[in-house]
Amino acid sequence: MTARILIIEDEAIVAMELRFVLEDLGHEVIGMASDARAAQKAVDAGDVDLALVDIHLSDGPTGIELGRHLAQDQGVTVVYMTANPGMLGEGVAGTIGVLSKPTDERAVQTAVDYALRCRSGQPTEYAPPELRLFG
Amino acid sequence: MTERTRRSWTEADRLAALAAYDILDTAREPAFDGIARLLAQIFDAPIALVNLIDSDRGWFKAEVGTGMTGGTIETSFCAVNIREGEGDVMVVADATLDPRFADNPFVSGEPGLRFYAGRLLRTPEGIPLGALCVHDLKPRSDTLTPIQASALEVLAGQVMDQMELRRSLRAGALEILSRQAVETELAATIEALAESEQKFRVITESMPQMVWSTLPDGFHDYFNARWYEFTGMEEGATDGDGWAGMFHTDDQDRARQLWESCLATGEPYEVEYRLRHASGTYRWVLGRARPIRDASGRIIRWFGTCTDIDELKRLRDGKDLLSQELSHRIKNIFAVVSALIALSAREFPEAQPFAKAVRDRVAALARAHEFVRPHTEASRPSVGSMTLHAFLDALFRPYADDAGRSRIILQGDDAVFDDQAATSVALLFHELATNAAKYGALSLPGGRVELTTQSVGDRFVLTWDERDGPRIDGPPTRTGFGSSLATVSVEGQLGGRLERSWRPGGLLVVADLPATALSRRRAALKAV
Repeated sequence: MTARILIIEDEAIVAMELRFVLEDLGHEVIGMASDARAAQKAVDAGDVDLALVDIHLSDGPTGIELGRHLAQDQGVTVVYMTANPGMLGEGVAGTIGVLSKPTDERAVQTAVDYALRCRSGQPTEYAPPELRLFG
Repeated sequence: MTERTRRSWTEADRLAALAAYDILDTAREPAFDGIARLLAQIFDAPIALVNLIDSDRGWFKAEVGTGMTGGTIETSFCAVNIREGEGDVMVVADATLDPRFADNPFVSGEPGLRFYAGRLLRTPEGIPLGALCVHDLKPRSDTLTPIQASALEVLAGQVMDQMELRRSLRAGALEILSRQAVETELAATIEALAESEQKFRVITESMPQMVWSTLPDGFHDYFNARWYEFTGMEEGATDGDGWAGMFHTDDQDRARQLWESCLATGEPYEVEYRLRHASGTYRWVLGRARPIRDASGRIIRWFGTCTDIDELKRLRDGKDLLSQELSHRIKNIFAVVSALIALSAREFPEAQPFAKAVRDRVAALARAHEFVRPHTEASRPSVGSMTLHAFLDALFRPYADDAGRSRIILQGDDAVFDDQAATSVALLFHELATNAAKYGALSLPGGRVELTTQSVGDRFVLTWDERDGPRIDGPPTRTGFGSSLATVSVEGQLGGRLERSWRPGGLLVVADLPATALSRRRAALKAV
C-alpha cells in the first residue's frame, strides 16, 4: 500500500532521512514542512493521506494543535513523531499515536503501515511496540 | 446523755479551731477585759478569766485578780471543764473537797482557790475553745443564782461574738491583703505584657516580611506595617475575612481550603499564592503560619508571615524552562545524530549493519535521557514512574513477541535511578538484549530472558538469565565491542562487577553493583 505522506519536521537532516526511508518503502513524500503555516499550505495544495508531525517546529511547539486540526478537520491521518512524547499527555483525539525519536526504519515502516491500515479500515494486527497509541 | 458521749470533735479539731481564730498570745483588748471585770463584779468574786485552752496550757485573753497571762494545763480548772464537764457550765463549790482539784498547787498552796464557776466558750460549730470563769478563795454554794447563771451565759456569748468578730476582721484584712497582692501582680504582668507587646511590634514592624496574626478561629486581627505598605490598604481594612479578597481569584479557593484544614488540625500552614500589590499587579507570595499553644496544648493564636517570592519564582520558572529547553535540544540532537548516521550509511551499503548497531545504541541512550532529564508535569513520561523497572520496560518494548508480550521478563526489587547511572544501565541492557536477539535466547521463537533485580544489603544485583535458546558449547572465541561496552558500563561507570557464565542452556550474566550506584546523587545527599 502506497500513500501520500507529508513530513512536518523542523530538523532538515531528520526530515531528509525520514523521506528516504518512506520512499524506499514505496510511498510518495509530497512535502516537508518545518512550521505550521507551511504544513497547512501543503495539505491545502494536495491530497495528503498521512502526516508525520513533530511537536516542536520552527515556529514553536505548534505541532500538537496542528496535528489535532489536520486529523479532526481535514481528514488527514496523523502520527506524531517527537523526541518529547510526554508533551502529548494522554493523547490527542482523532490521531493515531506517537512514535518516539530517535527511531529506526523498521519502527517507521510498521508504524506507517499500521496508520494506513487504520485509515483504510483494514483489520490491524497488533500495533508496533514503539508506537504509543491514543485512546 | 452526757456531753462527752455526744461530742463529735477530737482534740486535734479543737486545737485547729482555736488556731483558726489566731488569738493566742495577742495583746489585751478592752472588749475582753470589760467582760472579765463585769463578770467578777456580778459574782462579787476576786478572780475572773477568759481562759483559752491550748494543747499544753491555759492562756488568758482577759483576767481579773491574778496578774498572770496563763498557767499550765495541769492547774487549769477550765481544761478539766472541757475534758470532763457534763454540760456547758461547771461549778465547783469547794476544790479541797473535790478529788480532781484537791492536789492542785493553786488549791493546796497560794492563792488557795476554793470556788469555781465556768461556762464553755464554744464556736458556732460547738467546739469548746476554753471557758469564761470566776474563782473565789472561799467555798460557795454549788448552785448559781439565776442572775449568775444568766450573766455567765450572756457574757460567754459576748466573748465568742468578740472572737468571731476578730476572725472576720482578720479574714477581711487577709482578703484585702491578698487582693492587693493580686492587683500588684496583675499590674506587673500587664506592664510586662505591654513591654513584650511593644517589643513584638517593634520587631514585626521592622521586619521585611509581612506579619499577621489571627484568633484561634482564624479571624485576622493584626497585620504589620509591611502588609499595609505592600497591599496599599487602609489599616484595619483587611481584618476578619477581608484578607481573602487580596488574593488572586484563581488562588483563593486553594488557599482557603488549606487554611481551613490547618485551622481544624493545627498543622502548620504553607502555601504559595498571588497577592494584590498596591500597584494593582499580583505578586507571588509564600504564606506560612504556625499555631501558638498554651500549656495545655490548646491553640490560642496563629502567627503567620507572607514573603514576596515573585522574583525568586520568576527565576525558578526561568531556570525550569531553560532546563526543559536544553533537555529538548539534547533529545533532538540524538535524533539528528541518528538520522545523520543513517544518511551517511546510504552511500555504503556494506556499512548498513554497522550503522544500525550504532543507531540502536544512540536510541538506547536517548531513551535513558528521556527518563532522567528534568521534567515538568507536561513532559513527564506517562508510562509508569521514573524507576528502573519502568525504564527497562520501555527499553525492552521492541523485544515483544507477535502478541505484544515482552520476552524479557522483569522481576524483583524496583529502584530509582539518576542520570549518572542511566546511560550505563541503558547501554548494558541494550547490548545484552541485542546480543540475545542475534545469538542468544531471543534468536529462537520460544526463547526468553528472566531479568531479576534484587536489593541485597548494600549491593544491588541484576541477574540476566537466558532460557530456551540455542545450545551453548562454551564461551565465544571472539568478544565483540558490544561485550566490552557492557563491561565498561558496569565496571568502569557503575563501580560494580560483571560476570558471564556460558551455560549450555543459555547465557547467565550477573551485574553486582553497590546499592548507591543507581542513584549516586541521592546517596551523596543522604550522607551529608
